[in-house]
Amino acid sequence: MSYQSFEFLLFSAGILLLYYIVGRKGQKWVLLLANLVFYALAGTEYLPFLLVTLLASYGAGRWMGKIYEEADAELASCQTPAEKKQIKANAKARAKKVMLLALLISVGLLAVCKYTGFILQNVNILLAWLGFEQIGLFKMILPLGISYYTFMAVGYVLDIYWKRYGAEKNFVLYAVFLSYFPHIVQGPIDRYNKFKPQMAEGVKLSYKNITFGAQLALWGFFKKMVIADRLAPFVSNIFSQYDNYTGIIFVIAVVFYAFQLYADFSGCVDIVSGISQMFGIKLAQNFNHPFFAKNIPDFWRRWHMSLMEWFKDYIFYPVSTSNLVKKVRKRFRDKEQKKREELFASCFPALIVWIITGIWHGAAWKYVAWGLYNALLIILGNIFADFNKNAVQKLKIDEENFSWRLWQMLRTFALCCVGRIFSRADDLAAAFGIFKNMFSGLGMKYVAGGQLYRYGMGKMDFLVALTAMGILWAVDMLQEKMPLRETIAKQNLVFRWVLIYGCLFAVIIFGVYGPGYDASSFIYGQF
Amino acid sequence: MEQLREIMTSKFPSIDFEKEKNLIDDGLITSIDVVGIITELEDAFGISVTMEYIQPMYFQSLESMWEMIEELA
Repeated sequence: MSYQSFEFLLFSAGILLLYYIVGRKGQKWVLLLANLVFYALAGTEYLPFLLVTLLASYGAGRWMGKIYEEADAELASCQTPAEKKQIKANAKARAKKVMLLALLISVGLLAVCKYTGFILQNVNILLAWLGFEQIGLFKMILPLGISYYTFMAVGYVLDIYWKRYGAEKNFVLYAVFLSYFPHIVQGPIDRYNKFKPQMAEGVKLSYKNITFGAQLALWGFFKKMVIADRLAPFVSNIFSQYDNYTGIIFVIAVVFYAFQLYADFSGCVDIVSGISQMFGIKLAQNFNHPFFAKNIPDFWRRWHMSLMEWFKDYIFYPVSTSNLVKKVRKRFRDKEQKKREELFASCFPALIVWIITGIWHGAAWKYVAWGLYNALLIILGNIFADFNKNAVQKLKIDEENFSWRLWQMLRTFALCCVGRIFSRADDLAAAFGIFKNMFSGLGMKYVAGGQLYRYGMGKMDFLVALTAMGILWAVDMLQEKMPLRETIAKQNLVFRWVLIYGCLFAVIIFGVYGPGYDASSFIYGQF
Repeated sequence: MEQLREIMTSKFPSIDFEKEKNLIDDGLITSIDVVGIITELEDAFGISVTMEYIQPMYFQSLESMWEMIEELA
């Protein structure tokens, strides 16, 4: 059941009605039932995988919670600091074993399901090169949303291990969180300590939650159906048949892809966040107007924020504060090489994070290349940070100036577009093929004289898409400056309804439907 | 506390630590800055900042950092 299908809207409306009818105490059971039905409809064969991760993370949480409780009881009757230290260390060591077991199970499942084919494929290449017989390939089942719910479960287990909050004792509440139907398919990657307080005591029906939620979902439908799905055929055509074209058409396709991906992913997140808000549960923020980012690190603080926050908390910080990094830093410090120490401290963890980010997005070398490309940009940014700062000062550039901000935004957008070629191309060879063809001539014959309208988007499609992209840009710009939804809510009734009906009719009239249209696919769902 | 103030002021001369109480939320210090602060605090106060403490709430202000140092000392 796709998030943009009519069935999903009916399903959500039915659950919402039941949710508020049963009253606060029964709401968690309604959500659990809804989650089960939603997930089972996607494929009952996926359920055992979800159940294993659910039980492993919940069980590990309870186990670690018990270890820490016992240690606290011992500490209460303990006198000497040395004894206390020993009790804490013992508890930590025991909890570490439990944590590792839970991670082995949940991350192991993700790794087996997602990467077996990729690993075997590469082993076969190696075996062929060495002249050995190849291993038979097989395709593993890839449970819906496994990349997302595994990360949420891992986050929960590590938070308990690091004592950031206590282990959950109520299995139903934790099960509702991990399998919550609005976030299980493509996030946001929520945190249990933020999620639980919103649903544990039940939710009272609120006019604001219903209206704001519905408006957000409607805006999500606009982004997905009017922009993303209209741009999709053109982008798909150019990227899949890249050998037929050269020059400027790739620039158009890459820019369109940047908008398609943003409208598709943020549209989906708006739909699910809006529906979740109707249930009184606010999901984690996933976007903060990424096209206005002034540099690459700023872009990644604004794009897929819940994933980037996850990587920061569970990969970047542990790597940055690991004994290995500390040892290397100390070596630089002993040699009084402060600059090198700082560079190593910022670049090494970034490299690790981006390799894993690339692999998380998909089991293919093109994603590894995309991750390395981003790591390279961040590392170069760190290396040349002082040089850039000096240049800006010497050239007397006002960093608050509009033209400078525009330059920063366009530069960041262009750099991100280059990276998108890796992730959007069919494979790594195709990505390099696109780069080669892009610079093999101007290729005006592919765009001039109406040729541009022959690749899946007619003249009318261009007009609609460009207008809608302009609206998206304008809305993002207004949101940068003010809390737009609250501002709209303060306007008079006529203005509000004109906006709502305008958006609704735009979706109905300009949304993409019809033969050949695949309503089941959101780009980030495949990750 | 004075030593902490000196460390932070020399590391971030443009930040007014008397005024700013949401250093992380307001984007005044980044994750890379946090790692740098941790290293300096570990050296200066002889503590080891464990993962329990690497959370925004401990790095929002001088006061919250001092609270962390006292707990770890």
